[in-house]
Amino acid sequence: MRNFLILLRKEEAALFSSPIAYAVMTVFLLVMGYTFTLTLFISHKPTLVHVFVQMFVLLLLIVPLITMRLVAEERSLRTLEVLLTAPVSEFEIVLAKFAASMSLIVLMLLLSVSYAVVLWLYGEPDFGPIYSGYLGLLLFGSAIVGVGLLASALTSNQIVAAIASLSTFLLLWVIDNFGWLLPQPFDELVVNLSLSVHFRPFATGSIYLSDVGFFVSVTLLTLLLSVRALARR
Amino acid sequence: MATVVSAQNVTKWYGPRRAVADVSFAIEPGEIIGLLGPNGSGKSTLFRMLCGYLAPSAGSISVAGHDVVTDSLAVRQAIGYLPEHAPLYDHMRVGEFLNFMANIKGLSGAEARRAVAAAAERLALGEVFRLPTRKLSRGYRQRVSIAQAILGEPTLIVLDEPTSGLDPHQVIGVRELIRSLAERHTVILASHGLAEIEKIASRVMILLDGRLLTGDALAGAGEGLRLGLRVIGDDATVRRVCAGVPGIRSVAALGGEAGTYLVETDGPAAAPALVAALVAGGIAVRELVEGATDLEQVFLDLTQRARKAVA
Repeated sequence: MRNFLILLRKEEAALFSSPIAYAVMTVFLLVMGYTFTLTLFISHKPTLVHVFVQMFVLLLLIVPLITMRLVAEERSLRTLEVLLTAPVSEFEIVLAKFAASMSLIVLMLLLSVSYAVVLWLYGEPDFGPIYSGYLGLLLFGSAIVGVGLLASALTSNQIVAAIASLSTFLLLWVIDNFGWLLPQPFDELVVNLSLSVHFRPFATGSIYLSDVGFFVSVTLLTLLLSVRALARR
Repeated sequence: MATVVSAQNVTKWYGPRRAVADVSFAIEPGEIIGLLGPNGSGKSTLFRMLCGYLAPSAGSISVAGHDVVTDSLAVRQAIGYLPEHAPLYDHMRVGEFLNFMANIKGLSGAEARRAVAAAAERLALGEVFRLPTRKLSRGYRQRVSIAQAILGEPTLIVLDEPTSGLDPHQVIGVRELIRSLAERHTVILASHGLAEIEKIASRVMILLDGRLLTGDALAGAGEGLRLGLRVIGDDATVRRVCAGVPGIRSVAALGGEAGTYLVETDGPAAAPALVAALVAGGIAVRELVEGATDLEQVFLDLTQRARKAVA
């Protein structure tokens, strides 16, 4: 635990000393502010469903920018050798990198809570879908951070890591559109890999154990594989 | 005291390429080992295996009694490592970096601050202590990296090219530092700077194409006297005779011409005794040159000979 906290502090410092974190937050808040305002004025309904769907897409696009440097940069700058010859375990290193990236996502989501506050001040929103939407975004965020971290752990090139994770996200975003064209039982198998299929119920206020399980499983699997990628030297 | 490092038949493959081939050696407490070899000879790979960063493809290494594969964390706790190219975290200041390294080596609070201050003082980092590491010169980067390696009183200090990028004054300082480290630590350092190794190491190992060529002691390198010896006679007899002469520390056959040796002695008094003993033993002495050759010559001869043998 002590090592994890030391490493987390180092990862937070690295993340927030880089302009990427601020650029990502700025873009996120600008796009989401625009989406929130537009949907509110058009629909006149106190709901965040469209905002959550937009956040889902935006996170798919910006998470690769957050995760690409996590291990790839350490590998290319050779600082990974310093870290992996110090008495800290690969698990602690991976967990600290994951937690630091998640902290940026949590921060962005916390800032976006202001939209819910506006709805609460000027309307009577149903908070059920808002809670489930944020829970879905957290679970979805942790899964894609896990995938991005794994991509970064497999290469020393940040651009390759970003492209690999972005391609994976885009494929898993739209894979259900192709999945339905396949014969049984492959259609259901492929459709169930879709990120949007598992996220959509959260945005509309439904929490299914299968969706929670999917995101948690992807997170744990990618973290485990990232540890293996660091341990395999 | 127990052996600090014990390597048994260590081999490392990178795909089809063998970087280290069947290397065995032991390092005793307080030794300063110089690992000498040209670029690409496997020095850094061997060091990475010593520190638990790479796993050997075959063979075993134990450091301070812990196996580098099965007990990697204990090995890493016992080691201070300066990697090649002195990598540092660019977003940190020098003090922050040293403090971070002290913390992950298990030091905290006042203990960490004391260790960092002591390391910074030994490496003369006061001037740059608050500077971001990305603004450091090559020499300072090297010194900061050495400072992190000595934090936490490690049993074994592994230094890959410790004087690389330093100016002559700094080289002398680091040389003194390494000698002083041997009072409390065991040190192994790699270099292709032959003169450097000769000045620091108490024992030299030469690595060529992944193979360890010699583990001969260069006891008191820089003191004593080296003799270049050309004789006509049987190799075993030459060695037997030399072993019986007082003041002879070691005898190493050199490549090229047969019957050519580098003899390490305690001083000039050993030379006449050696000639007399060789003649009495039926060996014809063709030439004896005081200080005629040095470690560089040994290195070049050994590496040439090994390459010829492989060819």
